Amino acid sequence: MKNKISLIAFLAIFQITTLFAQERTITGQVTIESDGMPLPGVNIVVKGTNQGAVTDMDGNYSIEASDGDVLVFSSIGFETREIEVSGDSEINITLTEDLEGLDEVVVTSFGIEREKKALGYAVQEIQGEDITQTKQPNIVNALQGQTAGVQITNSGGAPGQSARIIIRGVNSLDPGADNQPLFVIDGVPIDNSTTESGSGNTPRGLSNRAADINPNDIASMNVLKGAAATALYGVRAANGAVIITTKKGKAGDVQINLSSSIGFEEVNQYPKIQDTYGQGFGGEYDPNSFWPNWGPSIDEIREIDPDAEINNIWKDAMRTGVQFDNSFNISGGNEKANFYASVSNLDQEGIIPFSEWGRTSARLNGELIFSDQFKVAGNMNYAISGGNRVPHDRFMERLVYNTPMQDINDYINEDGTMKSIGTNTNPIYDARFSTFEDEVNRITGNLKFTYSPFEWMDVNYLIGTDYYTDSRTEITPGPLGIEGEVPLDSQGFITETRISSRDINSNLFVTLNKSWTDKLNTTLRIGNDIFERDYERVDATGTEFVIPQFYDLSYTSQLSNSQDKRKRRLVGLYGDLLVDYDSMLFLNITARNDWTSTLPIGNNSFFYPSVNLGWVFTEAVEVPDFLSYGKLRGSYAEVGKDTDPYKIGQTYTAPSVYPLGGQVGFTRFEEYGDLGLRPERTTSIEFGTDLRFFENRLGVDFTWYKSNSKDQIIPVPISETTGFSEFITNAGEIENSGVEFIITGTPIHTEDFRWDVTLNAAYNQNEVVSIREGIEQIEVGSQFGYVGSTVTQQLIEGEAYGNIFGSSYERFGADENSLHLNEDLPQVIGENGFPVRNGDQLILGNSTPKWIGGLKNDFSYKGFDLSFLIDFRTGVEQYNQYDMFFSAFGIAEYTLDRNDTKVFEGVLEDGSPNTQQVWLGQGEGPDGRDYGAGFYRNSHRTVSENFVHDASFVKLRNVSLGYNFQDGILDAIPFESARISVAANNIILYTPWDGFDPESFSAGAGGNATGFSGLGYPGVQSFFFTLNLGL
Amino acid sequence: MKLVRKIYNYAIFTGVLLFAASCEDYLDINENPNNPVDAPLNGLMVNTTFETAQNTYRLGSTTSNYVQYLASPNQASSSDIMDDLSFNNTWSNLYNAMTDLNDMILEANETGANHYEGAGQILMALNLAMTVDAFGDVPFSEGLNFETLTPAYDDDQELYTQVFEYLDNGIANLSQETDLPIDEDDFFFEGDTDQWIKLGNMLKARYLNHLSKTGEYSPEEILAAIDNGFESNEDDAQVVYFDEEYNPWAQVAIDNENLLLGGWISEQFIEATDGTTFGVEDPRISYMISKDTIGGEYIGVVNGAGRGSAAEQYSRSTLEVGDFYSSELSPLLIATYAEQKFIEAEAAFEIDKSRSYNAYLDGIRAHMTKIGVEDSEIEDYISDDAVSMGEGNFTIDHIFKEKWVALFLHPEAWVDARRYDYSYDNFDLPENLNPDLNNQFIRRLRYPDSEVSRNRSNLPDVTLLDRIFWDE
Repeated sequence: MKNKISLIAFLAIFQITTLFAQERTITGQVTIESDGMPLPGVNIVVKGTNQGAVTDMDGNYSIEASDGDVLVFSSIGFETREIEVSGDSEINITLTEDLEGLDEVVVTSFGIEREKKALGYAVQEIQGEDITQTKQPNIVNALQGQTAGVQITNSGGAPGQSARIIIRGVNSLDPGADNQPLFVIDGVPIDNSTTESGSGNTPRGLSNRAADINPNDIASMNVLKGAAATALYGVRAANGAVIITTKKGKAGDVQINLSSSIGFEEVNQYPKIQDTYGQGFGGEYDPNSFWPNWGPSIDEIREIDPDAEINNIWKDAMRTGVQFDNSFNISGGNEKANFYASVSNLDQEGIIPFSEWGRTSARLNGELIFSDQFKVAGNMNYAISGGNRVPHDRFMERLVYNTPMQDINDYINEDGTMKSIGTNTNPIYDARFSTFEDEVNRITGNLKFTYSPFEWMDVNYLIGTDYYTDSRTEITPGPLGIEGEVPLDSQGFITETRISSRDINSNLFVTLNKSWTDKLNTTLRIGNDIFERDYERVDATGTEFVIPQFYDLSYTSQLSNSQDKRKRRLVGLYGDLLVDYDSMLFLNITARNDWTSTLPIGNNSFFYPSVNLGWVFTEAVEVPDFLSYGKLRGSYAEVGKDTDPYKIGQTYTAPSVYPLGGQVGFTRFEEYGDLGLRPERTTSIEFGTDLRFFENRLGVDFTWYKSNSKDQIIPVPISETTGFSEFITNAGEIENSGVEFIITGTPIHTEDFRWDVTLNAAYNQNEVVSIREGIEQIEVGSQFGYVGSTVTQQLIEGEAYGNIFGSSYERFGADENSLHLNEDLPQVIGENGFPVRNGDQLILGNSTPKWIGGLKNDFSYKGFDLSFLIDFRTGVEQYNQYDMFFSAFGIAEYTLDRNDTKVFEGVLEDGSPNTQQVWLGQGEGPDGRDYGAGFYRNSHRTVSENFVHDASFVKLRNVSLGYNFQDGILDAIPFESARISVAANNIILYTPWDGFDPESFSAGAGGNATGFSGLGYPGVQSFFFTLNLGL
Repeated sequence: MKLVRKIYNYAIFTGVLLFAASCEDYLDINENPNNPVDAPLNGLMVNTTFETAQNTYRLGSTTSNYVQYLASPNQASSSDIMDDLSFNNTWSNLYNAMTDLNDMILEANETGANHYEGAGQILMALNLAMTVDAFGDVPFSEGLNFETLTPAYDDDQELYTQVFEYLDNGIANLSQETDLPIDEDDFFFEGDTDQWIKLGNMLKARYLNHLSKTGEYSPEEILAAIDNGFESNEDDAQVVYFDEEYNPWAQVAIDNENLLLGGWISEQFIEATDGTTFGVEDPRISYMISKDTIGGEYIGVVNGAGRGSAAEQYSRSTLEVGDFYSSELSPLLIATYAEQKFIEAEAAFEIDKSRSYNAYLDGIRAHMTKIGVEDSEIEDYISDDAVSMGEGNFTIDHIFKEKWVALFLHPEAWVDARRYDYSYDNFDLPENLNPDLNNQFIRRLRYPDSEVSRNRSNLPDVTLLDRIFWDE
């Protein structure tokens, strides 16, 4: 829209027209069609001339024109109308609001604003208020359910815990690849990595770095999905890009906004557990038993110990989480300068005791306009974030071993030692004293210089940095030196980790505009882009504290340390040509060449093009009246991809155990990198249409895409007998294809009441097209299960990403060549009367959802607004590790049948129906047979199939109700605006999954093994109360 | 306009040229600052001697439950009941050690460091034989040097031929002079070449003796090797642990002390040494394991049964810090003079029974001395009729029983147990035995999951009851 106006103005100024006709003065009034209100500021131009006028405050205008001239009325947010002059000297017209309105301009690569209709690919923009409304402290979570084809998954409910974002499926066969999009703030990429606590350490639920961003600072977020949308960011945006624009000051009065909110959270779903059977084994009560739930029923126990009770230690161990979020911003400016400054603080305590996280951030955005030719804009943000990350995985696991016949919160003795039952560590004591504190200090900033020497030329230089240090201190106390204590660790240790990371981005580009005729315009942009990341991490661990409870590296008996340095550089040259014919046909061609430091010289230069076309056919052909706007679009794009530093060749490393006795040992490093490593290449095609009906009251956007990533650089896991365990090479291809729908509508729109609906849904299909000769599979991850019930996620040719493999029950008549478990076939029952276990690893499910989507409804009535967001995923399975433990330890509700006698449904080897009665209990059964450890321990827990379940859900992700105080009240209080709102997140979860919220998964945002719900930090529901005041 | 475009094109072209020239240097930063491209020979020696000790422990921590030195405090624990476990970690560490030895041998060969080459060959033989003894057919000829992504599995008997070749070549290389002597980087012998040569011979005797059930068995060859083997406990191949890294069995004892239960002694071992089974109390018991501090007695756990209602602490005998095998700085024994004596006893049994009998008694003496038993206690024990039964009453069973005690926690004990078909006195199957074993003892470890998923096409199809070639 904006561009259109400037185009008209441009034409008006430069085009020379000879006038022959008799001119006279035309006057009139422009009003808004929906409510009849006068519309000021409407541009009126005599088509084909430079004659123009603007309506005044009452919508009135006056312009010189002749009969036969065409008057063009245009205004931002309204549809443009053309009226031919035919004798009348007064022309009153009405303009219709354009529902696309102001969002028609979207921000694309390098912060360049483009008309949405000029784009040949799908984009979807989320406004700042839609982000803050969700009350999610992490901006990644705030996108949940709001954008088509974008899958956001919470890795858990811990304060500050990472959330994963995947656009249009996983594009890499590398289990360690970060498949997440590039995050860009105000034109400069930032780091959104998640550095977990590290392999071998218990998971702590750390943050993705985008969580350092204060959502209140965001004006809009735009998700660029296809490779076409991101060709200009090069390799780093091969998985798409999230373009964030922060707020800036507007010319006018200084505005001050205050926002304060308090929130409470609780576990949103617990697993179903039994509360009948207590401590012991084989139905015998033993208050010191290792076994928490294989004893007799509580009634029988009370005959021995009348005070005994069975508690729900799961609920008892959790608390209500609390968060406070306060933010303040001030903005303002004039024609020459503007600024926006903000300060915010968030403090959050999680549902597991002692888990906490906070963020304090300060931002200053400013722009100085020196002249028409030169302006400078600068943005700077400083953030401190971090907290205490409890060992949630261990916490949840230990609850399994702890007997429910205790008060789990009674965990500490007066002398500070742990109270424990049996050999068990109390999880709350552990959460309190096994601390892991992180603090990130981060500065992101950029400067943008714009020089416009000519009307047709802009020179832009953008330089930005993202610098942070991440200091982590992990302490596990050793013995306190008190007689009889049960220490958390026999020695105790402290690990100090210091990470520093510095990104520098430099981007110089020149934009050339040319109007060839009044219909044909071109914009050419050429530029150079340089990226450097300098990363260093140092870890020092001291073991065995010389003075108990004095935690300092200097006072430990054994020290070990390690260091990791990385540097990566990328240089790109790019060109981008946009051709616009009559605001109807838009052609965009891009080309880019990247040079990377991470590939062997000779293979490190790679070129990739893209082309996309948009055709607004409603401007070209006759269409029925109900179709107000229609566009067809298509694109083809390629993007190259490099790898991480130092992946090539064979190296040696000194294992962390050294030095020993003054000697340092060396071992061959487990990875071998192909000397001829080449860039990967992703090719994607996309077709779509954008249709608006009934004067834009209904919109339908449909996209079909397919992308193929070939020559993947992957660490192929190879037999350790080769001398390496991973071979990094170009191998394999993965394909993603799918469709996306966005339906927007305004079913009701009256003076006082408005209802907007947005529905988005996306279907993705993924296939591992090929891996590499000789390699049948790549393991993405595995998760422990007892006695052969361990599950793995494997990539296999011809199958989809996300398959979960494990043991199953033998099926009668199963196809021996099929990798998939056929659950419809009858189970084979063995001679012992129990189902036969099949240890072959079969596909039991898939953790990549087939369908994802969201439905958002916004209602406004006078000062009130109500909105709710529902999101869903279907066609997804996960391994429920809790359930496996719950089976093994007799905790699950279904283990209540432990003393039953039953006939397992199924057939014998010969196909005849099973009729043998068996007892499910432990020890000697009613039939005199010895059943050993019983059905659940002997059989049920050993079969992965029992624990891979449907993890689909429908969630009421967010509901919020707000009231904006109206003039009458505002007059009485010293504020320009005031708003109170209440919001609730995740209060409704509808899922077939028995357990904690299936959305939590073990791997963290950086991981791809999403099929393992593991012992994750339980998901939460939350309630918020917010007050906003404006001055 | 045309001119401007032209100027621009020219400028860009020039820019690209200049850029291309400087770019190469700017991007040439991919040399790994964290990992070196070559490893020093002494660094490889440090790691391979250390890891060989660790591998001995790793295998020992599994086999000690199979031969019932140890028992799990938990009922039906997979380690006790001979479950179908995947030993990924042990497997990968064995291959890591062999990979490093492969590199050490090649590098030593290129640089003429023949002592490093020889020691490397002996260590290779040791790790390879440990691998074969546990897993049977394993990849080797196509392995270690990245010749293929999926190395074929070599026949276990063939691999034994290679073990002997490595030993012979190692001994030959060590017997020559060198310009690059081994030094303190050698955790076994601190560069003492004579001891390396003796170790080579001792291992030859050990692996020849493994062939006792096969047609290849040659007692004469074994005795010949022994003649050049260890001469006293001083020659033992062992790694003494460090302040920075405790003996792994000590770590088990420390963890157990802190209620991460482990290192509980099997009832089988207690009864064999406290007089129950053999009628003679073995003084070594007090140097090897703890008493329960409640009743002051040695009490073991029946394998597979768990501790029942016993308390988790001080109710059963366990490894304890302070004892010979489980103190922080204890040596981890890899090959001992005592073991060699029992090999001698076994090899000589049919040929020269008195040599055999004497070797048997020397073996007991050597082990007792090794672990610090008082001389008077040694003599009391040796002179007991149950021990010194006289040459006439002396049977192969006595050798196996005493060797079993002397190989406490060592994986060689499992090789013996299989050669001996687990026929130790009073030796029972664990309770809650893995039902797939059909009431038989385990005969091998299964191939780890990592091989199943990465090298499936080559994987031999075996069960836990299929035997290693020397056990058939």
